[in-house]
Amino acid sequence: MITLSQRLKQKNQNDDSPNTRAPIRDRLLVKEAQEMSQLLPASCSVNYVNENDLSKFTLIVQPTEGYWEGGTFRFDINVTEEYNMVPPIVKCTTKLWHPNISETGEVCLSLLRRHSVDGMGWSPIRRLNDVVWGLHALFTDLLNFEDPLNVDAADQFRHSKEDFKLKVMEYVANYARE
Amino acid sequence: MADENDNDRIDDNQKPEKMFTLKKWNAVAMWSWDVECDTCAICRVQVMDACLRCQAESKKDSYGKQDCVVVWGECNHSFHYCCMSLWVKQNNRCPLCQQEWSIQRMGK
Ligand SMILES: [Zn+2]
Ligand SMILES: [Zn+2]
Ligand SMILES: [Zn+2]
Repeated sequence: MITLSQRLKQKNQNDDSPNTRAPIRDRLLVKEAQEMSQLLPASCSVNYVNENDLSKFTLIVQPTEGYWEGGTFRFDINVTEEYNMVPPIVKCTTKLWHPNISETGEVCLSLLRRHSVDGMGWSPIRRLNDVVWGLHALFTDLLNFEDPLNVDAADQFRHSKEDFKLKVMEYVANYARE
Repeated sequence: MADENDNDRIDDNQKPEKMFTLKKWNAVAMWSWDVECDTCAICRVQVMDACLRCQAESKKDSYGKQDCVVVWGECNHSFHYCCMSLWVKQNNRCPLCQQEWSIQRMGK
């Protein structure tokens, strides 16, 4: 990945008329993609849809601890042309049982909120690296049962941690095997 | 909200008068004690240089416009005016400290 962004960097520098509608996003992405690949958590990897386009990629998280250990979870990340005034659009494409990710793949992470009233949402000082670490932390530190997106999952956890754990494992076995 | 910010925008035809009345030494005095603010946290280019957008555009049309000014908030954080005027349309807070954004001064 480092070589990819380095190559794109060279390409951008050599190309006088980049055929792009989003020069700001693309310029930011050259640096951010490289930073992201250098600081990627050990349990994560990144796949680009098209190696010439840094704005669309899949983040793969394979937790090594916690309830989702052993699963392989994929997030499609789309950095839109308005970046970095707006956060990337993130969708989880692996079905899972998680209080902060719906079964249809919506992700509840404050960093990814475009409009925030509490000052916790997106800010242009954030980078792709923050997004990756935020998603990674949904399986550990940022796991939050208090303000759930999947209310059933959070309720189940409240009533029986054992049942919750079993259901998570069942989903991992059915949907999140590599 | 949106209207107000639109008026604030830097437009080649209608630059706010006050931008040119600011004294340069004001900015210099600022640097001496606040070195961490020398990079615009939005586009990550030095605030004394033109912002990423202006760089990209002047490259494209070769007008070489360098009227990209710096704006300081009441919180003392500084950004390119171009970058900040885009951001306040999304959220009228300082991206660094999350305080309500209000302009203290502008200059170069
Ligand atoms: Zn800037
Ligand atoms: Zn500018
Ligand atoms: Zn501030």
